[in-house]
Amino acid sequence: MLKLSKSLVSQIPKVQGTLGKVTFSSSYTRQYSVSADEETKHFNHLAASWWDINGPQRILHKMNLVRMDFIQQNITNSISLNDKSTPQGEEVYVPGYNLNLLPKEISEQILSDQKEKRTKEYEKLQLRCLDIGCGGGILSESLARLPIVKSVNGLDLASEVVEIARKHKDLDPIIKNKITYELKALESVNKDEMYDVVTMFEILEHVDQPGEFLKEGLSHLKKDGLLFLSTINKDFVSWFTTIFMGEYMLGIVPVGTHHLEKYIDYKTLDNLMGQQKRFEVLSAKGGSYFPCYGWYLHSHPEFGNYFMAIKRIE
Amino acid sequence: MLRFSIQRSTRYFSTSIPRQQQHLTDVAIIGAGPAGLSLAAALKANPTTKSLSVGLIEGSSLDPVKNFSQSPPENFTNRVSSITAQSVDYLEHIGAWKFIDQARIEPFDNIVAYDGLSNSRIEFDNMEMGTMCENINLQSCLLQRIEELNDPTLKIWDSTKVTNIANDTDDAANGWPVIQLSNGDSVKTRLLVGADGFNSPVRKFAAIESRGWAYDRFGVVASLKLKYEDYRSIAWQRFLPTGPVALLPLPEKNATMVWSTTPELSKLLVGLPEDVFIALANCAFVLPQVDLNYYYTLAQNEEYDELLSDIKWRFENYTSKPTIDIEDFPIALESVIPQSRARFPLKLSHADSYVSNRVALVGDAAHTTHPLAGQGLNMGQGDVKSLVESLELAMKRGLDIGNLLALEPYWAQRWPENHVLLGVVDKLHKLYSIDWSPVVAVRSWGLDVVNSLPMLKDFMMKQVSGK
Ligand SMILES: Cc1cc2nc3c(=O)[nH]c(=O)nc-3n(C[C@H](O)[C@H](O)[C@H](O)COP(=O)(O)OP(=O)(O)OC[C@H]3O[C@@H](n4cnc5c(N)ncnc54)[C@H](O)[C@@H]3O)c2cc1C
Repeated sequence: MLKLSKSLVSQIPKVQGTLGKVTFSSSYTRQYSVSADEETKHFNHLAASWWDINGPQRILHKMNLVRMDFIQQNITNSISLNDKSTPQGEEVYVPGYNLNLLPKEISEQILSDQKEKRTKEYEKLQLRCLDIGCGGGILSESLARLPIVKSVNGLDLASEVVEIARKHKDLDPIIKNKITYELKALESVNKDEMYDVVTMFEILEHVDQPGEFLKEGLSHLKKDGLLFLSTINKDFVSWFTTIFMGEYMLGIVPVGTHHLEKYIDYKTLDNLMGQQKRFEVLSAKGGSYFPCYGWYLHSHPEFGNYFMAIKRIE
Repeated sequence: MLRFSIQRSTRYFSTSIPRQQQHLTDVAIIGAGPAGLSLAAALKANPTTKSLSVGLIEGSSLDPVKNFSQSPPENFTNRVSSITAQSVDYLEHIGAWKFIDQARIEPFDNIVAYDGLSNSRIEFDNMEMGTMCENINLQSCLLQRIEELNDPTLKIWDSTKVTNIANDTDDAANGWPVIQLSNGDSVKTRLLVGADGFNSPVRKFAAIESRGWAYDRFGVVASLKLKYEDYRSIAWQRFLPTGPVALLPLPEKNATMVWSTTPELSKLLVGLPEDVFIALANCAFVLPQVDLNYYYTLAQNEEYDELLSDIKWRFENYTSKPTIDIEDFPIALESVIPQSRARFPLKLSHADSYVSNRVALVGDAAHTTHPLAGQGLNMGQGDVKSLVESLELAMKRGLDIGNLLALEPYWAQRWPENHVLLGVVDKLHKLYSIDWSPVVAVRSWGLDVVNSLPMLKDFMMKQVSGK
């Protein structure tokens, strides 16, 4: 069905900046590309320092913090307060108008009822997750530590990083039985394996047909399930930071790692999702990195890095 | 998160070799002082962090703390601290303050600070400036809160000393700390918190440097009875060249004092007969420095009768002067509670960091300060609040709470804040320890100026009251 020749899911660093400002930002990406063997070598040497948070992967470790914030926020927001199974009389009142129109005590009461119900529903969750391009397991481990996550399946194609991920999870008794790592491509995942959460962080920019690749990920989503992704816009900012600075000037990643023509814009993805009746974009955020601070998410997904949360509604 | 799991060591003989157990915890807290108990209660009161298993290890017995609520001692204990409104808010937030023994605390809304050499003075008055509270009362309210929460994943070992701390693997990056206990057991923990006071064994294990200096001063504390109850609710502080002497209100006729002075004088004060000590303490709040120096000499030479009669005469003479308004001074002291005098070395110290891999420091383990501004214990409560918030955020992000990524926000928030406060208190102490007269003149002028400039006073008051 799919004609993707991806052979590698891994993570490599790249630097990115904000045009017109002297600030630098960087990100790390996973890579799907045609020349597997070549690139696998590039990435394997990074593996040893994967879990050193002050080492070369620090920016990725920092990025993981905002990934998790983004994931948590969207999981919480997508909890429906009154679904069909809620017994009559126990529904939480959700007015169809602005709460500010109500007296303060009443609007506060409504909000606190909603919050209580949301917390209750949240705590009931037992999510099964698929982490595509798990690398050394930074995101997989974070997901697995959440009490609302039942299991995490991490996929990657670089054997050495998968090995690192496996060894590292065994160091922590609370996650060691919740995670499985597989050396496997997304298209080899059994068609009827369905998940509550699918993650694709920093992959699409390395794939020949990002639209198709995204659809493949979405096809493993259960109803009401969420897919989270992050990637880079095809703009001058991205070229300047990832290719010009990252590859040529700073040499953080090997020349030829990135191909601007593969980058996919937020607008393109958003349009693509607009044509899909079964899916809905819950949230889209831009992400920027500032040294000495870390990553922060903002409301301009159309420049540089961006994050998206997509929900299967049918 | 983790349940307590117990591994028994292999027993080779059927005779009674004591069984050694290794306990496994998410958070092991060393020290059940105000900081450690507060941390244990706060972790268990927080909806996110309550799932963490917690072990609290204390070297001394907690029996006095446990018995305090049922049968409190008749007299006030000598370790009393002023608790800022901010700390009280936090203790309320974690559900502990409702257990405080209200009959044994005294709020004050006034601080009168005056110069021992020039008698110029500054008055701060403000609603809820602070509350005087025995440390054991505070510990008791925290312990009662812990009992109320009744969480099976919190375990307290008291009368149990930490004898050694080591990493469970040679690979420091991946190892977990293993704490050896004096009862033969050990605790392996995801996160080790040092709430173990100034000499912090945890800080030493983590090889975190602590910098600072001793003030070459001791604080003499004592529980006192006043001649009659003082309804003014004032905290008095007089700056003498040897250091400040403070008289702090407690309910009814009770008060507590912190008299910071030189090592030799502190030793002398603690050892004097009770009536001589009270006579000298009364002088310290009223008489000029020259008279005090003369009486110290008499006390050193054990000429007590001479000293007592001279003080009586001087006092009556001095206080009947038309320039002296008795209203400007504390109520005279009547007696000191037997065995309530003790002395503590005063020092300023600040750890270079509060965190390292799988280790965090809170309270005096991280910083100690001069008691003149009454901040030490309160800084520890601020640490606890910030650490719990950081751990909560880390858990929402699925981080390993022992990882530096989880702990860094705590130290980034607290270290600079504490550093500023330590600096302010240190400079106050230094300024008021100088008796070279131009400095005294400037200093007295300073107090008068401060007193007449509401803005500057407000700023200082905010620093001290924590609001
Ligand atoms: C004279 C004086 C007056 C003060 N007045 C005030 C004031 O008015 N306001 C104020 O805010 N602060 C004041 N302070 C400071 C305040 O008392 C301290 O900051 C506070 O008690 C520190 O609390 P903590 O829990 O950090 O440490 P601590 O109270 O020192 O507790 C540490 C605990 O760790 C235990 N421990 C240590 N080593 C081990 C081990 N190896 N094994 C097991 N357990 C161990 C100890 O037994 C102890 O219980 C004053 C201090 C002094 C000296």
